[in-house]
Amino acid sequence: MRRGSILLIVGVAVVGVVVAIAASLLHDGVSSRATPSKLEAAIARNAHRLAIPANARSAQNPVIASEEDLRTARLHFADHCAVCHDNDGSGQTLYGKGLYPRPPDLRLPETQNLTDGELFWIIENGVRFTGMPAFANPEEHGGALESWKLVHFIRHLPHLTAAERVEMERYNPKGPDERTEEQEENSFLNGATPKPKRESQNQHPR
Amino acid sequence: MRIRWISILLLLALAAGSVSAHGGKVHVVGTVEKTNPDSLVVKMKDGKSVEVKLAASTVYLERNNNQDKPAKLADLATGDFVVIHATPKDTGLEAGQVRFSRPVAPKAAAPAAPKAKP
Repeated sequence: MRRGSILLIVGVAVVGVVVAIAASLLHDGVSSRATPSKLEAAIARNAHRLAIPANARSAQNPVIASEEDLRTARLHFADHCAVCHDNDGSGQTLYGKGLYPRPPDLRLPETQNLTDGELFWIIENGVRFTGMPAFANPEEHGGALESWKLVHFIRHLPHLTAAERVEMERYNPKGPDERTEEQEENSFLNGATPKPKRESQNQHPR
Repeated sequence: MRIRWISILLLLALAAGSVSAHGGKVHVVGTVEKTNPDSLVVKMKDGKSVEVKLAASTVYLERNNNQDKPAKLADLATGDFVVIHATPKDTGLEAGQVRFSRPVAPKAAAPAAPKAKP
């Protein structure tokens, strides 16, 4: 009888913990508009850190970044990464703000305190259950050296200059409407005649 | 004749501007109506004026010969064509990038050649 009571109490406690965790994870249904709870964020942060193999964590960056390498990485970041991370690494983009979990602000200690090896591993392997894809495909991505150059650029993000940001904007992926608008703006500044705008050009998704 | 009318309409359009938005960023296109040390007033296509705040991080580029070259606020003048990429901040707009060009003055009509005397 006494043993049965203990089992009942333990059972109720386990169910309570499971319900609490489920409620924490599934608050706001499965909407990606929700903000991860502190518990979920802490679990995710530590889990993905632990998931990176120790030898990968301690890997040294084989690229000694030159100005040219940094520029290559900057434009690479603008073309491949900024759609979610933004050019300045803040993550304040249409896609970044809609992801669950949100991409971290790469300029902050949470990312800057990761080792070069950890950053490289995340770029190459991605992070499961997030929007971060794996880029370890030499044919598509340019090989591991490109990822190591990106690590240098991520270190540079807290010091990104306005001129560098402007240059990056030219390399951000653009849709047809944005390209048309860019051409029209250039034509306007060149003193040529802008074409009349279509209605849709003033309605961009947020 | 038709080409002349089209040209006039297009020139009128040139002096105009517009505002459009991209994922939280706003493009202000028009002519500089007033320059202040910390803001620009731009006159747009619909005749309305919009004030855009300037920040220390604002980048200025002057477009010349189809190329953008680094510039500074002091290079801007009233009447310049301007394209501003701005971000909504508080109750106004803050410029991230200001691209501008100087309107080309219309060429004076060449004097008519004197008629040859018969």
